[in-house]
Amino acid sequence: MQNAKDTFYITLRSRLAAVNPARTMTLRAATRPGILVSEAEAPPAQPLLDVFALNWTGMQADLQLPAILARMTCEIRYCTAGTQNNAGLDRGRALEEMDSEVLKLLYPYSAPKVNYTQDPAVTMETIVFWSEPEFDPITTLRDSLSRTVKVTVFAFQEQGEQ
Amino acid sequence: MADLSTQNPCGLAQRVATALLRAAGGTTACLQLPPLQGDSTNAGQLGLNAPGFLSLPLAPAVFRKARVAMQDGQMPKYELLISADAVAAQVTQRQLSSAQTLFSMAAGVVVAGKLFLIEAVSASESQGMAYVYRLLLQEACGEWAM
Repeated sequence: MQNAKDTFYITLRSRLAAVNPARTMTLRAATRPGILVSEAEAPPAQPLLDVFALNWTGMQADLQLPAILARMTCEIRYCTAGTQNNAGLDRGRALEEMDSEVLKLLYPYSAPKVNYTQDPAVTMETIVFWSEPEFDPITTLRDSLSRTVKVTVFAFQEQGEQ
Repeated sequence: MADLSTQNPCGLAQRVATALLRAAGGTTACLQLPPLQGDSTNAGQLGLNAPGFLSLPLAPAVFRKARVAMQDGQMPKYELLISADAVAAQVTQRQLSSAQTLFSMAAGVVVAGKLFLIEAVSASESQGMAYVYRLLLQEACGEWAM
């Protein structure tokens, strides 16, 4: 399952670098595309603005198939307060831009599964595929807007995979 | 209307705060900061590589329990008061723009070998200059010794 989670993140990160190269962040002294895995970073006091945070929540396994099919829920959370130039009054437009980017990041809805625990990374035999996104309503907190998008990620457990 | 009266900051509040914190049993708190050279590899972003946090000592500081946990599962909260002189020295040494930047970079604070997460940061000021920083901390779930 971990390989599927890693593949999903790296795929979205690569696509984000192509879709919007300007969406970057500096985290732990490294500048990188504005997307992160929450469980692999230190918990922030405040949600990071204008970046996508992947949060893995649900997990189910279908044991009736020849290979175990893992079904994991990924919540993509993002929050914006607009830009300084517009004094935050463009926060609605900024959120819409992130909504649009999410759609572009997720399509196509599959990627070859890769094992990133090895160096160099090894492409595996199956693919990781995922559902269309479900957009939750906007949450307003003072001058910030945030949204959660739910995606169900599927992956077959390969022989010898942990 | 602007206050145009002459005020010459002489660092009195900073010195008093530092002396008070030291007298009140001042201890040393260590900010956990990312290394100067960030890890931009895949493994670094997937939780595979050790982050290699640097421990940045700040002293004098006073550490105390801020609120008693009243509900099951609620982690106790603590308060850390740090001398602004100590923070200013580290901000200058690391060539950062502000103390806020320093605290926002930190992944946590280690006090007496235990890791705490930063929930909020505030500063008390005199004549427009901070003399003490107050960090609201929450105990980290990990029980490892730092």
